[in-house]
Amino acid sequence: MALMNGAQYIESLRKLNTKVYLFGEEVKDWVDHPMIRPSIECLAMTYELAHDPQYSDLMTATSNLTGKTVNRFAHLHQSTGDLVKKVKMQRLLGQKTASCFQRCVGMDAFNAVYSTTFEIDKKYGTEYHERFKKYVEYVQENDLTVDGAMTDPKGDRGLAPSQQADPDLFLRIVEKREDGIVVTGAKVHQTGSINSHEHLIMPTIAMTEADKDYAVSFAIQSDVPGLFMVYGRQSCDTRKLEENADVDLGNKKFGGQEALVVFDNVFIPNERVFLCQEYDFAGMLVERFAGYHRQSYGGCKVGVGDVIIGAAALAADYNGAQKASHIKDKLIEMTHLNETLYCCGIACSAEGYPTQAGNYQIDLLLANVCKQNVTRFPYEIVRLAEDIAGGLMVTMPSQKDFKSDLVVGQSGKTIGEWCNKFFAAAPGVSTENRMRILRFLENICLGSSAVGYRTESLHGAGSPQAQRIMIARQGNINQKKELAKAIAGIKE
Amino acid sequence: MLIGVKFCGGCNPRYDRGKALEAIRQGAKGAAEFVIAEEGTEYDRLLVIGGCTNCCASVDQYTVKGDTIRMWGEDHIDTIINNIKKWGNNI
Repeated sequence: MALMNGAQYIESLRKLNTKVYLFGEEVKDWVDHPMIRPSIECLAMTYELAHDPQYSDLMTATSNLTGKTVNRFAHLHQSTGDLVKKVKMQRLLGQKTASCFQRCVGMDAFNAVYSTTFEIDKKYGTEYHERFKKYVEYVQENDLTVDGAMTDPKGDRGLAPSQQADPDLFLRIVEKREDGIVVTGAKVHQTGSINSHEHLIMPTIAMTEADKDYAVSFAIQSDVPGLFMVYGRQSCDTRKLEENADVDLGNKKFGGQEALVVFDNVFIPNERVFLCQEYDFAGMLVERFAGYHRQSYGGCKVGVGDVIIGAAALAADYNGAQKASHIKDKLIEMTHLNETLYCCGIACSAEGYPTQAGNYQIDLLLANVCKQNVTRFPYEIVRLAEDIAGGLMVTMPSQKDFKSDLVVGQSGKTIGEWCNKFFAAAPGVSTENRMRILRFLENICLGSSAVGYRTESLHGAGSPQAQRIMIARQGNINQKKELAKAIAGIKE
Repeated sequence: MLIGVKFCGGCNPRYDRGKALEAIRQGAKGAAEFVIAEEGTEYDRLLVIGGCTNCCASVDQYTVKGDTIRMWGEDHIDTIINNIKKWGNNI
């Protein structure tokens, strides 16, 4: 099968019988639901740009498994150059959608499971790696989107999986059969899960023998019996349900998506199982996936940041404030912060290395530094954007008011005329365009897109403390002490 | 002269690469034909349009008789047009 385009991808979702619930009800026509569709359009861009010669150099790669051209989101990185191109592709898609485009989790999971299964097989003589290679070939051949799912509900954070009062708070094996396993549990915060053809499940933490039933990795189609999803609502999401919603949405076409994915006694055939009770490899899988995903944020959030910086600059133009020196300086600061994130994404890629399986892994220290910065800089970027935009981004009347022909007051003017009169700013700038850019900033700073740009930057790919633990492990303080001793003349 | 065109992936281009190609196509009209490069086709020359100085597009997969021309800024457009006209049919 050739690479799908955006329309083909959307049609492929209609063929699935994915169970989706929202506001306490099943959503049958979820592909066309106004709250869900923007996230589907985002993913469609990952397919569409692969066909555009201006972007295909980043969007496609040559498969090491088949020699065929595949979407880079289904690729196993074969060099540091591939790792760099991954980050560039993510920046590109952030620029084109100003949203989370959701397909990175699958790509990061492919690469982590590929290298980890190789090492499991080497120790235990299992056949997970060959199974997984066949699975990746299937994904590449059919150009599928896969939800790389790691995060369990976790229950009491002070207890291990096997110590929880409710044993399902970490996804687990409840039955082993001749032909496969049965699993129960859930994965939370699953980015793009509803829009995915498949789910690739991984454990969420390092484990001991007591937790071996929780050490499980497998792949399964989205619409198998017992698997269902509950849509995660976002700030201001019901604006998308308003009649003729446009300006007030800020980003009408694109958006992100997260959901609770529940596995209620789901059967997984053996050929789709890639880790089954080898608990000593759970930590490796987590660390590798997290490393790749922390690299990812040095690309995607930078692309979104590019759009925010552009929007802030436009807001300044529309407000007539573009010549003020403090405005110029704030745009410089935003650019500095954004490009610093990109530097980290590129650096951890350029310093990558080959795994035993042959695919390339990022530099863990630099990837964790990258993500640690991502937990901070986007917050400062949106603070500066709000500073430049002014309070109007959160106080102005609705699109309907600006369009209203209801006569009010004593001068015979409509609500629309009053609004357009009082919200006019720089000469030659339409009030509607000013509204549009301010609503975009509202949406990304504190509306539905803030889920992706703010809180996802903080907690996605691991919360800040998770990176600090990795930085502590990788920081090599003893070597630094030796350097200091040598310079200071300390002999001991 | 048949020139294969290869764009970089466009992660953060400093100029409009599509417009640059159109400008070159118009400026070199009659001297060269420009097509998006494909593997398995032989080109007289390859034009790589990069969005920044890194000009990171992959080109090893293409078959080219003559030089590979790289550009990464709008200020390269005139030089490229002049060179194409100067080269004529000489590869």
